[in-house]
Formats: sequence, C-alpha cells, structure tokens
Amino acid sequence: MQIPGDLDNESRPLETIPATFQTPVQRYIQKTLSAVVDELSSPDGRPSITLKQRFRKPASLFLNPQTMALETRETQTHTTYTWPGSDANEAWRFAVAFRVLAAIAEAVQAGLVVSKRDIYYSDPPCFGSQRVVDTLVDDFAHTIRVDRAALHVEAAAKGLVVGYYQLTTRSREVVDARFSNQDVLIPRVQDIDQIDIANINWVLILEKEAVYRRLASSNYHITSAAGKGILITGKGYPDLNTRAFIRKLFDCRDQSTQRPQFYALVDSDPDGMAIMATYKYGSVAFAHENRNLNIPDLHWLGLRTSDIVAGPDPLGDEALIHLTERDRKRAITMLSKNPVWAADGPEQEWRAELQHMLVLNVKAETEILYDGDGGLVGWLDRKMLSSLKDSQ
Amino acid sequence: MLPRTRLLTESLSAAAVGPWSAFALNASAWSHNFLRPAAISLNIPGLIEGLWDSVLRAVPKKKTSHMKKRHRQMAGKALKDVKGLSTCSGCGQSKQYLSCGSADNAHPVDIFALAVTDKQILSASGTSSLKVHSTTDPDFPLVQSIDGAHKVGCHHVVTNGKGSRAVSIGFGGEIMIWSCHDGTWAKDDAASVNKATPADIWAIALSEDGQYLAGVTQDGHIKVWDLDTNGEEIRDYETKGSFGTCIDLSADGRFIASGHENGSVYIFSTESGRMPFSLSGLVKPVRAVAFSPGGKFLAAAGDSKVIVLYDTSSGEQVANLSGHTAWIMSLSWSHTGEHLLSGSFDGKVKVWSIDTRTCVATHSETEKAIWSVKWLSKIGRSVGFATAGANRSISVYREATGG
Repeated sequence: MQIPGDLDNESRPLETIPATFQTPVQRYIQKTLSAVVDELSSPDGRPSITLKQRFRKPASLFLNPQTMALETRETQTHTTYTWPGSDANEAWRFAVAFRVLAAIAEAVQAGLVVSKRDIYYSDPPCFGSQRVVDTLVDDFAHTIRVDRAALHVEAAAKGLVVGYYQLTTRSREVVDARFSNQDVLIPRVQDIDQIDIANINWVLILEKEAVYRRLASSNYHITSAAGKGILITGKGYPDLNTRAFIRKLFDCRDQSTQRPQFYALVDSDPDGMAIMATYKYGSVAFAHENRNLNIPDLHWLGLRTSDIVAGPDPLGDEALIHLTERDRKRAITMLSKNPVWAADGPEQEWRAELQHMLVLNVKAETEILYDGDGGLVGWLDRKMLSSLKDSQ
Repeated sequence: MLPRTRLLTESLSAAAVGPWSAFALNASAWSHNFLRPAAISLNIPGLIEGLWDSVLRAVPKKKTSHMKKRHRQMAGKALKDVKGLSTCSGCGQSKQYLSCGSADNAHPVDIFALAVTDKQILSASGTSSLKVHSTTDPDFPLVQSIDGAHKVGCHHVVTNGKGSRAVSIGFGGEIMIWSCHDGTWAKDDAASVNKATPADIWAIALSEDGQYLAGVTQDGHIKVWDLDTNGEEIRDYETKGSFGTCIDLSADGRFIASGHENGSVYIFSTESGRMPFSLSGLVKPVRAVAFSPGGKFLAAAGDSKVIVLYDTSSGEQVANLSGHTAWIMSLSWSHTGEHLLSGSFDGKVKVWSIDTRTCVATHSETEKAIWSVKWLSKIGRSVGFATAGANRSISVYREATGG
C-alpha cells in the first residue's frame, strides 16, 4: 500500500522542523543505526539501543479531569539494550530490538506499510512471540514520539463498522455506507478526510463480533426504533485504529442535528467492563495516547447482572455462568489498581457492578439477550429509546 | 447455660404447638362435627334434652389410631391448622412489623453484610469503611466509622454472641479482626488468622465466644482458626470443590454448615471432624445457611427461591418454605427460634413462622437487592430486625405490639 508523502506531515508538528532528514522517524533510525554500526566497527565497541519505557504499572495511572482519559505521570525512564551485554538474554534483547528497527527502517525507506505480523514472521524463532515484536514497535513509536502509523507499521485491521454515514477519504473518494449492510473493516483513520454523520441518533459499540453480525445482517442501523445509527465492533479489546475511528465520530457528533449518543454493549463479566473502560478512558498499555482516543461520553447500555438476575423481565438464570478464578482475580485487580473503578473514581456504578459479580459469582454473555422478550433487537430498542429520551 | 435453655424452650414450643397441635384440634373437631348431628336425629324427650349433651360427652371418644390420623393427614384430608387467629385484616398477615427508622444512605454503595451486637449494628459495604450504628437510640445514629478497613470493599462482617469481637473480610481476601471496648471498635492486635496456606476465603462465621473463626473457601474447603492462639488453623475439611458461598456455626459450636454454588449443603461436626450430613434438596447455588438458636434446624436458601429446613439430628428435609420470587440472599433466626427472616434479590423481606411453616409478614420497601437481614436483640419487650442492601440504607423494623 502506497502512503502519500504528505500524509504523515499533517498531524505531526515535529516534522516541520527543517533538518537533513525528512521526518523524525528517519532521523532517529539513521542516528541509531549509524551509532550501532560505528560501535560494531570499532574494536571494543558496545553497540546499544536506548528505548523510552512505556508505563505498564497501573500504580502510576490517573484520570485526567480535563480529558477524562487514563494517563500516566510522565517520568522519564529509559532502558538500554547493549551487545554483548551481561548475559545471553540481554544480547538477545539487543538483537531483536535491532532487527525490529531494521524492519521499520526498511519499510520507511521503501514507503511501504508492514504489519507487526510481517515482522514477526520474518524470523519467528528469533523473536519468540508476537508480543515481543508488538512491544518493541510500540516502544519505538513512544521513543520517537510519533504514533505507530508513522513507523509504517500497523496491526492488521480488526474492527468492523456498518452504519448510516458517508466518508470522504483524503484521495477525495466518497464512500457512502448508508444503505449497505456490507460490513467493512474500519478504515485507517489517517486516510479519512471527513465523516458525514448527519441524521444519526446513536453509535453502538459492541464487544462481540457475533452480536455485531446479527445486528448488521438485520440492518439494525437503519431499522432501529431508536433511529438511525452506526454499529461498531472492536472484536474484544479494541485496537488503536478502532478507537481512533470512534473518537473521530465522537469529535464529529456536533455536526449531527440529533447529537448522537454513544453506547457500549459488552458482556457482563470483568473483561466486558475492561473493554468498555478501554473505549471510554483508554488502555494501560497506551496511556500516552489515551487522550487522543478516549470517548468521555460513552454510556453503558448493558449487560448488567441485574438485567438477568432480577428486573421486570427476568431472562432466567440458566444462562448465567460462574466466574472463573481468572475472572475473579481480574475483577479484584481492576477494583484495587485501576483509577476508573476507584472508590473515589468516576464510575461508582461500574465499581458496584464488579462487586455484584464477585458477590454473586456469576457472569453472562450478551448472547443471552437473544432469548429475552423481543430478542436482542427488542431489548436494544427499549434500552436506547429510554436512554435517548432521558438525554433530551 | 444459655444454649441449653434455648434448646429447651425450642423443643418445648415445638412439642406443644408443632405438628401435634393439629391432632389436638382434630380430636375436638371430630366430636363436634360427627356426634352432634347424630344427637339431633334421635328423638329425644324434651326432659333429658338438656342432659343429653353431657351424657354424650361422658361417652368414651371414638378411638382413632395414630396410623389412621397420620394417613389422613398425609393424604391432605385432615383438618387444616387454624392459623388465621390473629391475621391483620389489612394484609392477611398474622404479624406486623413496623418500620421504625433507618440509617439512610449509610454507605455510598451497596451494603453487603450486617452484624449485630446488643447495642449496635455493624455494616460492611463496597466502600473501604465499616460503619457502626447504635440501636439503643431511636434515630440509629452513626457512632463509629472504621475508615480504610478494606481498600477494595468488604463483603462479610460477623460478630460473636457477646458483641466483644467482630471479623470482617474484604474483596481483596484480607481478614480483619476487631474488638469492642465501651462501644468503640478497634483493630484487635492480640488476635490473628494464620493464613500460612493461601486460601481464598469467601464467607466467615464466628463462634459465640469469639475464639473460633470458621471460613469457607472458593474451592470448597471449610477451615477453622483459633484466633487466640496466633490464629492457628485447627480444622480443614475438604468438600467437592464447589465455591463456598455461605457458612454458619451452631450456637453451641458443635456444628458447621456450609452452602455451595452447586447446591450442596454440608454439616460438619467440629468435635469428630466428620461430615455427618451432605444435604440434598437444593440444586441451584445456595446463598445462605443458618442454624436455629437451639441447633435443632438448619435453614438453607438461594437461587432456588425456596428455604429448606433440615433437621440437624437426622439430616432430613423437614419443610420447604416457598413464597420468594427471586434469589434468596440472606437468612436470620429470631432469638427464640420461632421465626425465620429472609431477604431476596428483588428487595422482598419475609418473616416465617417455624411452627406453622408459613410466611407471616412480607416487606417490600425497595426493589433493589437485599443483601443482608438480621434480627436485632430485644429492646424492652419488642423484637425487631434490620435489613440492608443495594439501596445503601439500613432499615429497622419492630414488631407491632398489641395495643
């Protein structure tokens, strides 16, 4: 895929600095690689690569009251991988870091976009796991202070979208998705120039692809009693592009006369809650980018334990599943470590929900709504209509 | 001494007005209903008419064998118990408990557990603090807030009979022991629970004297610790591994009952370390088990929406109390063992008579889940109870006294 040269320049002010090299990415690569080569060519050289660490400890996380995003307190910590290093592990770490950087350099130079998977499969025994590559790519992006797309590396597109919208790409192509139920992979946000979401009332984010497919195939985005809308799924935990796309819709919501509401329908389990929090506040792994990706005004449509256990239309408790040990551990970690669920945090209802799950030791999947009164569509219509009424 | 007297009153009351009362009533009804028409059909001279009744009464009663009575009763042909002697004309209920105050929004989130002493109610919730409300004052004022007790929130708090010690357990799995001096609670540094082997304790119960703590784990183990000897683990019973949701110790400390997610209810003897009974009857998760004060009955309830009464000496199921339409989350016996209190997920609170095996009062002040119900100790002559749950408040009810 050819990337137009002007694309990368727009969103990154750093690149306007005139320098010998075109972009900070190229500058960084050139500098690092030549330093390594210099060291290697000298008799006692100790080549090294220094990376700025991203924050993985939830302890340093906090919610920024302005952006309502999960952010970290920026304290500079660096890791340096040297060769041969003190042990075999460090030598290996240097080697994989060097190879990932070389792959990025190659992609940047050729103007191609490679996927993290491509890099991994160039030498799986060396990298060991996909995760090693993913972490390094994101660390490089963080070190150079650009986003991952600027490194010409992207994850395979994951999210799906269908809905009543039109978009214009940067190459002036107009995509009219309004009357189609053909779901499409979420387009790269960098390629989108404009999104026209006039006339939509809602954007519904779904955790489950199966639920998404069911709704998309019945044209729920056009036929819903709550008006026209957009259905999106990130298939579990969303990737950056899915989040960026929804954020773009969120930023455009004022152009719609109805000012659409953003809803999340996730499973009633700790992972479902964490997925919803990733959309609303951001993820721990990308705390440095959350402020550009979070959706502060996301409403929790369901699924709640109380929707199933009690409520006017009990869905029956046969559908309930017991929490696994992992679920319980996860819930307790979320309650104790993540500021979103903190006792003085913004989401008291979410906190209570996690505690209900722990006390009742039950969870439920979104699919159980299929069997309820009016099925999934009936349930969604009721929930969204009452919520839209409240918001007006 | 106390448990023994309780046992006595309970067995006495059960003997006096238990199933036998039905026979006593039956016998008198027989003589009236069958013998009187016979008297009318005879042509009796007016002279002895006035005497006839007494003559009849002098005749030995028709003997009905116990077997026959029993068969009629089992076939549902026996006369029904007279229960409606003092029903409230308004609601058809025979007992009235009046709301006599509440601690509104005692906690900012769900209250998961209540524990009572003779003067106080302790409550545990999804917040980090435990709250103590006084029951001696009609306004139920907050007398103490133990802040920062459980960082992630607390799901169980229990007290011993005397009200001198309390134990609470939080979502993080940490167990805290508290002692009470002059109505003020503080961390009890003398007592501890030795958790050498990490176990995910969920529900707990404290012995009457406060020395022993029993707990049931998420993998179905039942453990007992001696809190006064460095919290040594003195018992570890293994069950089939289903999540232990609830536990209770009998007042005399001889038995432990546990309820599990797979519907199992087990009774263990603390003396022999044996499991005399594995009780059947519930298939869905059990959410509450409670021994009657004399230890004669064990009540168990949960997602099956019925309360099952077991005889603890035989392990037999002696009654099913049905009436709740949602999961039953909590049970509590009155101090005399005459009444059982239950709270359910739809916010309903019911009082059951153990003699008649019927529901004698229902309260539905909230539609939100009731997580905990507890009888309060007697104040003067009136008995009462407290309920709490998802509506974040503690509500207190007292029995309406005749006048």
